[in-house]
Amino acid sequence: MRLSRNWLLALPLAALLAGSPAQAAGTLTIAQAQDPNNWDPIATFLISWGSVAGNFFEGLVIRDESLKLQPGLATSWEVLEGGKRLRFHLRQGVTFHDGEPFNAEAVKFTIDRLLGPEGKKGPQQSNYTTIGSVEIVDAATVDIVMKQPDPVMLTKLAGYGAMMVPPKYVTEKGSAAFALAPVGTGPFKVVDYQPKVSVTLEPYAGYWGVKPKLDKVVYRFIVEPDTQLAELQAGRIDIASNLSVAATGIVSKSADLKLESITGPTVVVVRLNTAHGVTTDVRVRKAMIMAVDRDAIVKQILMGQAETVTSFQSSLSFGFDPKQAAVPFDPAGAKKLLAEAKVPAGTAVALDFPSNNTTFREVAQAMAGYMSAVGLKVAVRPSEQNVYTNDIVPNGKTGEMFQFGWGGWTFDYDNTAYLMYHTGEHWNPYDKDATLDGMLDAQRLIADPKQREAKLQDIAHYVADHALEIPMYNLNTIYGLNKRVKGFVPPPDNRIRLQTTTVE
Amino acid sequence: MTGFLVRRFAISIFVVLVVTLLVAWAVRLSGDPAVMLTGAGNVTAQDLANIRQGLGLDRPFYVQYLSFVGGMLTGDMGRSFMGGSSVARLVGHALPLTVLLTFVSLGLALLASIPLGVHAAVNRGRLADQAIRILSLVGLSFPNFWLALMLVLVFGVALGWLPPSGAEGPSSLVMPAVTIAVILTASTVRLVRTTMLETLSAQYIMVARAKGLREWVVLYRHALRNCAVPLITYIGLQFGGLIGGVVVVERVFNWPGMGSLAFDAVASRDYPVLQACVTVLAVMIVGINLAIDIGYGVIDPRMRNR
Repeated sequence: MRLSRNWLLALPLAALLAGSPAQAAGTLTIAQAQDPNNWDPIATFLISWGSVAGNFFEGLVIRDESLKLQPGLATSWEVLEGGKRLRFHLRQGVTFHDGEPFNAEAVKFTIDRLLGPEGKKGPQQSNYTTIGSVEIVDAATVDIVMKQPDPVMLTKLAGYGAMMVPPKYVTEKGSAAFALAPVGTGPFKVVDYQPKVSVTLEPYAGYWGVKPKLDKVVYRFIVEPDTQLAELQAGRIDIASNLSVAATGIVSKSADLKLESITGPTVVVVRLNTAHGVTTDVRVRKAMIMAVDRDAIVKQILMGQAETVTSFQSSLSFGFDPKQAAVPFDPAGAKKLLAEAKVPAGTAVALDFPSNNTTFREVAQAMAGYMSAVGLKVAVRPSEQNVYTNDIVPNGKTGEMFQFGWGGWTFDYDNTAYLMYHTGEHWNPYDKDATLDGMLDAQRLIADPKQREAKLQDIAHYVADHALEIPMYNLNTIYGLNKRVKGFVPPPDNRIRLQTTTVE
Repeated sequence: MTGFLVRRFAISIFVVLVVTLLVAWAVRLSGDPAVMLTGAGNVTAQDLANIRQGLGLDRPFYVQYLSFVGGMLTGDMGRSFMGGSSVARLVGHALPLTVLLTFVSLGLALLASIPLGVHAAVNRGRLADQAIRILSLVGLSFPNFWLALMLVLVFGVALGWLPPSGAEGPSSLVMPAVTIAVILTASTVRLVRTTMLETLSAQYIMVARAKGLREWVVLYRHALRNCAVPLITYIGLQFGGLIGGVVVVERVFNWPGMGSLAFDAVASRDYPVLQACVTVLAVMIVGINLAIDIGYGVIDPRMRNR
């Protein structure tokens, strides 16, 4: 009995029994589905990391809500030697949350750590391999020396792996401790982190820029969208960041709540198996695209909370071609193409997707309906997400069609196109096209943005001409807000910025 | 008795070992923690190989398993693949919450089901009996997640009396505990009623009544004690199922207990956390059953000498 009583008095329970007050003024509570678990910038690629950590980490450059690059910890920069050298003039008088000064040493430490053995353990290093070395010019100036020009590098310096970390703190405490108690230069500092429960931020008094108006920000990790909705309705959270499409009606009808939705980074397509089955025939692939009324799917199933796409990128992406036309919904034309390809009516095809994607489950049913109208019998095949992303897709075990959602925070089409279409890439089990490989490789070497954009647009057209995928939609990120929240700008890259936000 | 206990104890340890081995093996059959670690983001094969090496997943299975068992024996549960938190710390936060939730639910269920079951048995065939039986059937038919969502809608959202989720105060415990208790009560009531009916027809009950004892003394002192063995056996058997139900309920109420921890660990293939969760829960279930075996002796003197 003594033992169990001690258990009951353990710390978390003491906190539990003490209870907690209702929402305090000046405190903003945000629910998000996932706990990124690790706050170290070089160890993560999770959207859930970016939506929190952008408030306490900063890079040399900052990307604002409209996705424009702004001076961050560097006040200005120069592109030298044809893009082989990037020179940064550092902001003076900046300190980390622990009081450590930010300077050229910190930049060198951060990038060296990212490219060294510590970075090797995480997923970020591969994004920055075009960097050769960091040279300190003087205390306020650093050069990043490139192995080759990298047109996306400036954008990459505004997020994730290149977030500036404090050399002394990281060296003394070690990476494992840093991962749980991060220190950056951002407007907020982390004051408490309870794994799987919450992370609490407070304004950093020594911040160099616009100081936040909030007294406290609490991110609560709530997995179930319905639970987030209930908490929002009960007035216990101010922002729900993972609402289901079905919840949008409830939120928009409520007197206390409002809906903010914005184009998200993730684009969903149904990729086609070009190596096996009837989909090896380009006419069949084209017929499949024509068979599905994607506008109706967006309107009816996704309640308008998405936009149809013409290629595997959103309209905000670098490489997007506004002139690229959608393949029109044309069941008669689809039937004709299938007849030309000698595909008999009632031919069985399969559509694979991860089972936890309840939204796509409905979309898949609708697609099966549209395809049966042109004579294709679709088996809808959900699989557990981990098995799906680790085995079924990379090992080429899908049916003729498989769902895939992708989108990089850099909003650069290269990020998606290279990984999806280039021969031998992890996520590309089927496509082998030397012409396409050549186009993908060539654009990476072009420093001129205009030229590179044209090349990326060519790639999007090439993919559409060869019907490698059924372009589906770009899902909105849907935020449910309590009306007491003011000045919240929904970010298209999921990176919530809270400097201008207030709570009444 | 001692020989019996030693034997039962040895079997319990064997069961726990088999369970951990099965789980460690099965969780590695599909999925890859390295990919989950990156959120299935932009990764190359080289990144994945580096991450696997960092996590020690490039070692043979038996080495990984033995190092896990060795770690558990020395109290070192290792570090989570997701962020490197100490597994002991994660379990240390989650376990008391799950134990609290489980025992409060169990207590509520017993508090409700014993009087209801006894009342139904005494009034066999009458309106009260019918009503209790129908109610318990309704209770049995509720899926726990549905009941949980309905409670949240009514008490969390519409009335605003209780927090819809989290573990922030005693009020947070009410809805999850009631959800589990309702379903457990429904089945336990039926058991209490049946065993009570059998007991009430026994001669010593007639004797007790003939002695002029008050009815509640007859029911709760004499009759109920003889229902205790089947009841405790049943609760012991239910315990595994109870823990299973806790996983769902914890998730709906965002209760940061062992269920939520294990569920996330499965989804992200966080082997150290999942293995630790399963081991701890297995020890708990096996331990409860062991305690019940010992408990028989306390409750029923006839069993002490067997």
